[in-house]
Amino acid sequence: MISEDIRHQAAQCRHYAMCKIDYLGTGLCASGAEHQYVSHFPQGRMDLCDALARNVVPITEGLVEIAETCNLCGICDRQCHFITGMRPVEVMKALKKHVREWLEQGNVPVAPPADADLERLREIVGGQWATNDPAILMTYANDPFPLAGPRMPRFVVLPGNRDEIAAVVRYANDHGIAYAVRGNGGSVFGFVFTDGLVLDMHRMKGITIDAENWTALVEPGVTSFELQQAAVKQGFRVNTAEPAATVCGNIVCTGLFSTWSNAYGVNADTFVDMEFLSRDGEVFRLSDPTAPNVFCYEHQPTSSPGICTRAFVRLHPMTDDEAGMLVPFTAFDEAVSFVQDLSRRRIGLALGVLGGHYLSTFMAPTASLALQLQSTLSETLGMRYAVFLVGDRFAREAVRSMRPAVIDAELFRMLLLGLPNLAEGAWQDLVSGMDGDEPAYELLLRPEIRPVLEAILRPAPETLASAVDEDLRDFYTQLYTRPEMTDMVWLNMFRILSSRMSRHKHMFAFLVYVPMDRPALIRSICDRLRQIADAQGLENDFGFLTPLDLGKRGILEYDYYIDHQNPDDAERIRRAAADFEPYLEEISVTIKGVKWLKNIFSQGCARKEAFLYT
Amino acid sequence: MMGRESKETTLITGGTGFLGSHLVARFLAEGRRVVALARNREGMSAAQRMVRLLDWLKVPQNLRRRLEILEADLEVPRGGLDPDTIMDLQNKVDECVHCASDTSFAVGKREQVQRVNVQGLENLLDLLAGSRCRRLHLISTAYVAGKQVGKCSEDLPPEDGIGDVFKDALDTTRFHNVYEQSKHRAEHVAMQRCAVIGMGLTIYRPSIVYGDSRTGRTLAFNALYHPVRAVHYFRKLYTEDILRHGGRKAGALGIHLDADGTLHLPIRVLGGDGCGVNLIPVDFFLRAFQAIRDTADPNGVYHIVNPRNTFISEIVTFTNRFFQLTGLRSLPGGEDLPRNGLELLFDRHVQAYGAYMRDARVFDRTRAEAVLNPVGVVCPAFTYKVFAACMRFAVDVDWGRRLWSDTTTPVTASKQKTSSC
Ligand SMILES: NC(=O)c1ccc[n+]([C@@H]2O[C@H](COP(=O)([O-])OP(=O)(O)OC[C@H]3O[C@@H](n4cnc5c(N)ncnc54)[C@H](OP(=O)(O)O)[C@@H]3O)[C@@H](O)[C@H]2O)c1
Ligand code: SF4
Repeated sequence: MISEDIRHQAAQCRHYAMCKIDYLGTGLCASGAEHQYVSHFPQGRMDLCDALARNVVPITEGLVEIAETCNLCGICDRQCHFITGMRPVEVMKALKKHVREWLEQGNVPVAPPADADLERLREIVGGQWATNDPAILMTYANDPFPLAGPRMPRFVVLPGNRDEIAAVVRYANDHGIAYAVRGNGGSVFGFVFTDGLVLDMHRMKGITIDAENWTALVEPGVTSFELQQAAVKQGFRVNTAEPAATVCGNIVCTGLFSTWSNAYGVNADTFVDMEFLSRDGEVFRLSDPTAPNVFCYEHQPTSSPGICTRAFVRLHPMTDDEAGMLVPFTAFDEAVSFVQDLSRRRIGLALGVLGGHYLSTFMAPTASLALQLQSTLSETLGMRYAVFLVGDRFAREAVRSMRPAVIDAELFRMLLLGLPNLAEGAWQDLVSGMDGDEPAYELLLRPEIRPVLEAILRPAPETLASAVDEDLRDFYTQLYTRPEMTDMVWLNMFRILSSRMSRHKHMFAFLVYVPMDRPALIRSICDRLRQIADAQGLENDFGFLTPLDLGKRGILEYDYYIDHQNPDDAERIRRAAADFEPYLEEISVTIKGVKWLKNIFSQGCARKEAFLYT
Repeated sequence: MMGRESKETTLITGGTGFLGSHLVARFLAEGRRVVALARNREGMSAAQRMVRLLDWLKVPQNLRRRLEILEADLEVPRGGLDPDTIMDLQNKVDECVHCASDTSFAVGKREQVQRVNVQGLENLLDLLAGSRCRRLHLISTAYVAGKQVGKCSEDLPPEDGIGDVFKDALDTTRFHNVYEQSKHRAEHVAMQRCAVIGMGLTIYRPSIVYGDSRTGRTLAFNALYHPVRAVHYFRKLYTEDILRHGGRKAGALGIHLDADGTLHLPIRVLGGDGCGVNLIPVDFFLRAFQAIRDTADPNGVYHIVNPRNTFISEIVTFTNRFFQLTGLRSLPGGEDLPRNGLELLFDRHVQAYGAYMRDARVFDRTRAEAVLNPVGVVCPAFTYKVFAACMRFAVDVDWGRRLWSDTTTPVTASKQKTSSC
């Protein structure tokens, strides 16, 4: 019997697949690494525990294996807590116990039904890499997006190379089996479901760096995190998406963007060439003269060019004097104008305006501390927005000469490691007592204050670790002894903190390309999205804004937060969609420079010029 | 203390504030009926907030039944009250004490301050127009005098040049901050409107109010308290650094702890011996208010101030003594000296009060003393004993964080803002 409490925890998994990458250096779930299906990673086990408790999945042979191969090593507790605050090991224990007791009662696990199609698929990819075990299938059937209902596939197939993909696709086409492709096995917004066959690219993790050509050749199972690791090893950097998202999948779906897009561009800027398998099983490269033109943009729903089998991603140089910097602002328009100015002057590589919620959520290791920190930053310090920058020393000197009050790398480290003390009450009251006309941060960021701040914050890995559950403190202390964990450049390259955005609730992000020279328009878009959410009682906040193309355009993220387990929130988002869909569609058509990312869906290979300047 | 029960009804605005709550308690103790206008805030209803204050003020239960609490926001026309409530109010209110105010100094809050202090008063007077209310007690401030130097009379200063405060920026030639300007404007609005509707107007102008001179009890920890609180915070911070962490950070700033527990905390307080600051305790304010209200003449302007200013050097000496410190000293000038981090933080705590710490204004007390002296209402001197009582209370309740013994909510009656003079 799985308790309701455990089921509830299990159902909270956000499907971000962070447990499929070794982003904290803890190693991976051994069973997941060996079996490679989502079901064998902690993410899938969470789903299975929830499904078992709700009696919607039988105990199958696959499920018994899944339960038995969990050795309760605790890796998922550390990984998952870091971003979601959850402790999955309790769920894993419950799952194991439930299955063991069920077996002890003399029950026999359900064997998957015999299926001739499955046998053929297994011949193509190898016996262990195709399955129709209902428990395994279940972990490919749902999604935290509340408007997407479960949809059970018939098979999951993990191909090992391009030829296997081609053979599986041909077989599926020949036998009328629908298929959906998942880069990393997961789905977040309800898009990649099928009743037929799910192709999970997780096994295809090849990366080849071609230093002379400044490119990395990546296979479709390679995640952004893994590619960045490989690039950095050789002294390069790539523009990077969410760490657990696959590079190929990301390019094809929406195009790659991040704060680095200021320097490295978006969409077609991010790759040199790509290889696809067309819907009818033909392989082509985008640079082939006869290839379909995917660089154009059509303002209508468009299907992807096919299955991306390889991408030649652009590599970028780094210098050894790069560092991060945050420039605080009280007013949105001022922050937007400043970041645009930096972009058009070519100051800085990665650039963005971050909201207080974003910043505090990224920095704080727990949701409650994030909440306190947000009020400290926004209300007490007056830092409602921060312009984030990664730049060399010349860029940083330029910024300092433009705005003296900055948080440099050293101070950021200090703030991060002293976070619990930064959010502490007496200190906050002290700062609140300094009511004046300038925001408090202007004084607090003066160099003379730094020794006092140091005494107040007592920055140390142990201080930061004091904010988490007692049994995790040693782990956090060790973790934060590593310099990269407080280095804004590293954190922004590997983006391991970004999933924290969904820590307290599932996040529904609106991404909209905007004209950067119109801060009032950008603010009005945020205001409208806020009104729509407020009208439905949905939590919402500004996320970030990154300039592109010398500050001519930018990409704006505005976020809605939903409790994906709450049917009322599903209804709220459904009602909100009736307002935001037409609004975003209208401004995408009528205002130059505005494009909702939904319009670009499946056109991620398009040249940005094709949709930003038309 | 309780007088005979009276049929008279007093409307009090700002009853959830520092002075307003004390006045509510006092009027109830006199046996009067009180209608308090108050807002819901911080997750508490207007009534819950009032009850919490009455508990703190130890108002006996039997008096509370004479209190009616109406939820109202003076920023909206007629406080947002419905027509029936307004009619009822107009039929029963005999006098009104207007304490509601936004006491922030920040330029960034200019519109808000003016909306509350000027438009809020207009909204209140709209509410009272045609009512049986015959007298308005307007709690103003001695600092409507703005940047005047020398003697400030107990009259309305001329209004010329202020214009429409909703449109105009702060007139920095005449006022130190938006608060002063808006309170000045409010006095004129009250005078004009009360003349038109034939309502008596008494204007009370207290200087800076601190806690009770005997017990130190207070609901507000701003003004005098802010800089002292900063010093107390530094004391705790560096004592802990020395005792628990080896004292490296303290040492870097020349801070050390003597064997007897005295902490050497080198902070130079600038602008030391100007003319000092005018401080009055809340108990004096209440007694003075009552005496003035009891005079037959409903019209007049009264300074409720201390005949003697307190010098910054005295407060510095008191602070050193109370917190067992050395090193805190006041400098007569020193504005050009380089400042260390502690001093910069300290400066910021007193920055908004600069004009009040070196006050060149001398408040005429002729009219007030003519009322107060005969009834023996005299402002107590701000001695070390008074200072110590106030600071002991402040430390006991952790500067307001533990004010409500039955709740953990760290709220003070007046929010954390530079205010109140
Ligand atoms: N304290 C002093 O040192 C001092 C010195 C000189 C003059 N004064 C004057 O004395 C009066 C009272 O001061 P105080 O120290 O008691 O201030 P306070 O503690 O800040 O109280 C202000 C009161 O005004 C209320 N208020 C503010 N905006 C309002 C609105 N829109 N609608 C309804 N009520 C509103 C507040 O309600 P909430 O509780 O809901 O915020 C609070 O009850 C003020 O007029 C002030 O100018 C005070
Ligand atoms: S506890 Fe189990 S599920 Fe979690 S990482 Fe270890 S083996 Fe995997």
